[in-house]
Amino acid sequence: MVAAKKTNMRLESISSSLQLVMKSGKYVLGDKQTLKMIGQVKAKLVILANHCPAWRKPEIGDYTMLAKTGVHHYSGHNIELGTACSKSYRVCTLVFTDPGDSDIIRSRPEQTGEKSILQYFSLIKLARACLKKKKKEIPKLAFGCTDA
Amino acid sequence: MGKFMKPGKAELVLVRCCLGCKAVIVKNMDDGTSDRPYSHVLAAGIDCSSRKVTAAMGKKKIATRSKIKSFVKVYNYNHLMPMRYSADMPLDKTIVNKDVFRDPALKRKTHREAKVKYEERYKTGKNKWFFRKLRFYIFSKNH
Repeated sequence: MVAAKKTNMRLESISSSLQLVMKSGKYVLGDKQTLKMIGQVKAKLVILANHCPAWRKPEIGDYTMLAKTGVHHYSGHNIELGTACSKSYRVCTLVFTDPGDSDIIRSRPEQTGEKSILQYFSLIKLARACLKKKKKEIPKLAFGCTDA
Repeated sequence: MGKFMKPGKAELVLVRCCLGCKAVIVKNMDDGTSDRPYSHVLAAGIDCSSRKVTAAMGKKKIATRSKIKSFVKVYNYNHLMPMRYSADMPLDKTIVNKDVFRDPALKRKTHREAKVKYEERYKTGKNKWFFRKLRFYIFSKNH
C-alpha cells in the first residue's frame, strides 16, 4: 500500500516536471529523432514509456550507455506519457535537449549502470536487420551471441 | 555526455552485403556534406575474417588461413550499430579517404591498404574482438 502510494507520488512529480519542460525547455518526441539526438550528443535525458517495444528499450539503453546520457523508465504507458507531455497523441520515447526551468535532470539520483561495463551488449538491432533482409515478418525472436 | 561516433569506434554494419560485419570508423562527418546531406561515416571493415589456426598446422597453411578480406565504404549513421569496443587502426589517411570512390584504381589501392594493415594488426594479437567472427544466432518462433 505504501509502495503504491510512493510510486504514485513519484509519477506525479515526474509528470509535473515534464509539464514544465514542455513549456520552457526543448524536447524531441519519437524513436528515430531520439536516437539522432543521442548520437549528436544533444540529449540530456531520455524518457521511455513502460511498455516500449522489447527491442527498443535495450537499443536506446545501449546508445545512452555509450553517450553517458541518463534514461528514465516512466512508470506509465505511452498514452499516459503523451498526456503528461500535454499532447493529444501517444508518446513512447522522448528526449530533452534543454531542461528549461525544470530540475528534472538535477534531481535525478546518480546512475550506477554506466560504471559497470555491460557484459553483454544487446544485438537486437542486428537481429531485426537480418530478418528484414530475409523479408520475413519479424516474429517474436530470441537470439544468442557468444561475444559482443 | 560523450560523443561516441568517433574515429576508432567499432561498429556493426546493418545493411546489404556487409550485414553483420565489423567495421571501424576512419572518419566521421556529423553534419554531412553537399553530396551527402546526412551524418555519415567512412568505415573500414572486415568482410571475411581469418579462419581458425592451430599449433599443429604448417606455416603455409597458417598463412593461407590468416587472410582477411576487407572493405572500405561510406555509411549513413542509421546503417551502423555502434559497439562498446574501439579499435585504433593505423590506416593511412592519405590513401583511405572519401575521394577514392570516384576512381577504381584508387579504390583498389585503398582496399589493399586496409587489407594489409588489418592482417598486420591481426598477427600482433591486438583487438581480438574485432578480428573474430561475430557468433550470432537467431531462433525465430515460426521457423
